[in-house]
Amino acid sequence: MPKKELIKKHFISSFAVLVSLIGFFGFALFALHQPVFTMKIGAYSTDTFAFLQFKILAISAVVISTLIAYIIYLYLTSDTRTQLLILSATKDLFESKEQLLKIYESAPVPYLTLDNKGDITDLNKAALRFFGVVAEEMLRKNFFSFLVDEDKERAVQLAQHYGLRMPINREEVRMVNKNGDVHWVLLSVFDMGSSVKNSRLGLVTVFDIDDQKKLDQTKTEFVSLASHQLRTPLATFKWYIEMLLSGGLGELPQKPKEYVSKLCSVNEEMIGLVDTLLNVSRLELGKLVVEKKPTDIQEIVVSILTELSSQITKKNITIKKEYGSGFKNFESDPHLLRIAIHNLLTNAVKYTPEAGCVTITLGESLSGKVISVSDTGVGIPKSEQGKIFQKLFRASNVKDVSASQSTGLGLYLIKSIVENLGGKISFESEEGKGSTFTITF
Amino acid sequence: MDTAKNKKILVVDDDENLRTVLVDKLSISGFDAEGAKDGLEGLTKALAMHPDMVLLDGMMPKLTGWEVLEKLRQDVWGKDVNVIMLTAVDQADNVAKAMESGSCQYLVKTNYSLDEVVNKIKKMFAGK
Repeated sequence: MPKKELIKKHFISSFAVLVSLIGFFGFALFALHQPVFTMKIGAYSTDTFAFLQFKILAISAVVISTLIAYIIYLYLTSDTRTQLLILSATKDLFESKEQLLKIYESAPVPYLTLDNKGDITDLNKAALRFFGVVAEEMLRKNFFSFLVDEDKERAVQLAQHYGLRMPINREEVRMVNKNGDVHWVLLSVFDMGSSVKNSRLGLVTVFDIDDQKKLDQTKTEFVSLASHQLRTPLATFKWYIEMLLSGGLGELPQKPKEYVSKLCSVNEEMIGLVDTLLNVSRLELGKLVVEKKPTDIQEIVVSILTELSSQITKKNITIKKEYGSGFKNFESDPHLLRIAIHNLLTNAVKYTPEAGCVTITLGESLSGKVISVSDTGVGIPKSEQGKIFQKLFRASNVKDVSASQSTGLGLYLIKSIVENLGGKISFESEEGKGSTFTITF
Repeated sequence: MDTAKNKKILVVDDDENLRTVLVDKLSISGFDAEGAKDGLEGLTKALAMHPDMVLLDGMMPKLTGWEVLEKLRQDVWGKDVNVIMLTAVDQADNVAKAMESGSCQYLVKTNYSLDEVVNKIKKMFAGK
């Protein structure tokens, strides 16, 4: 009912109450007038107490009649007053809804709402822009079908999560728009609860992170390309040095031979560094392929120790080996596992001072097969232990080891590889005493 | 038995330094080695010379190593010739590409010393 009519109605009913109230008062006064008047005369002849009694009676009659009139007023006008209140509350509600809608509509972030099946029920302007469509083209279509084909498995999984009301928070997925452009997005779906029985509302936010992703990709691809280009000159060094040292071109005098040997070992370090960079970039591009087959871990350890033998001998480091059974035919990726163990052993040798000790154990624990490497090296300061698997992190107490020997990539690479192989890595360390790294499969 | 004797090896690599040292090393080891400076020259020489083995680089101008390998495998003579891919690239998809074309060995240059390369070649000739 329009507000004007409501006010009119309210006015009429209030007027009616007022009229009836006046009428009632008139009646009451008239009805009381006679006995009070009679009493007034009688009062001179009777005692004052009886007069007082009549006075109280008269006042009570007036009060009670006023109350009754008020109740009648309330009764008659309650309906219109409630309606007026509802009207003003509705107006407030409407205004705040308008405001919310405006925010939703003009927000720069794409928003979509979904029903309980994950079908799209609404999109804001940013969402229309993002998908390059008019609303009708997407309404009632399943939201998760707009993920790219490569992420189909992920789409099915996310749709299941949505169906089970599990949280979907900042998932990195690729979505495709009408023109077929693929964008990396951060996808979140909030459960907005349900207003109508058996229906619910999911609010989707889609953050476009494509530029950021592309930049990351370019960076990683550059590292990959540069590393490949670096390999050719490194191979040239390697083979020319080998020709010089092999004596095939005539024996070198002692001093030049020592110098060339130094070149050889520095070149090998560079090759190792380039390999690490390549592996890290491959890992980040998602191109690290795991090919599991029966792997002889013991043989891998032996060959790495042979490779490191010159450094081990030079620093007079004692190597302790404990090989348990079950490591000769272990299902894993030999190439990746070798990179991980190689990095662990190289670190142990690098950070252990002269005449120290490195222990490698292939054993078993309650949680599975264990490969552990202990050293009596510099250890990791307690305050930095939380960060050691971070990319490019170098502990403060090894800053005197040259940057070409410590890139801060080794442990990051080891952890990523071990996790890709389905294992876990942990460590214990005390500064100045040494560290133990344990890989568990 | 000297496996190197009378074995002709074609070294296809666009990097002159690497090509030279490989040819030198193979010659010292007793092979009859010759170089080719890009993929196209490599393919032409291979089809003309019919060497006993082709060492192929990956990234090369004109024809890449993988393209040369593919074309070799389509040739009546070339389909059985021993090939070692000797490249700077070791990404899994590249390895897969080489395997698909029927290459038998795939080596990353920086991971092998010349001696090890020669040993691989000898092993291949010995039929291992």
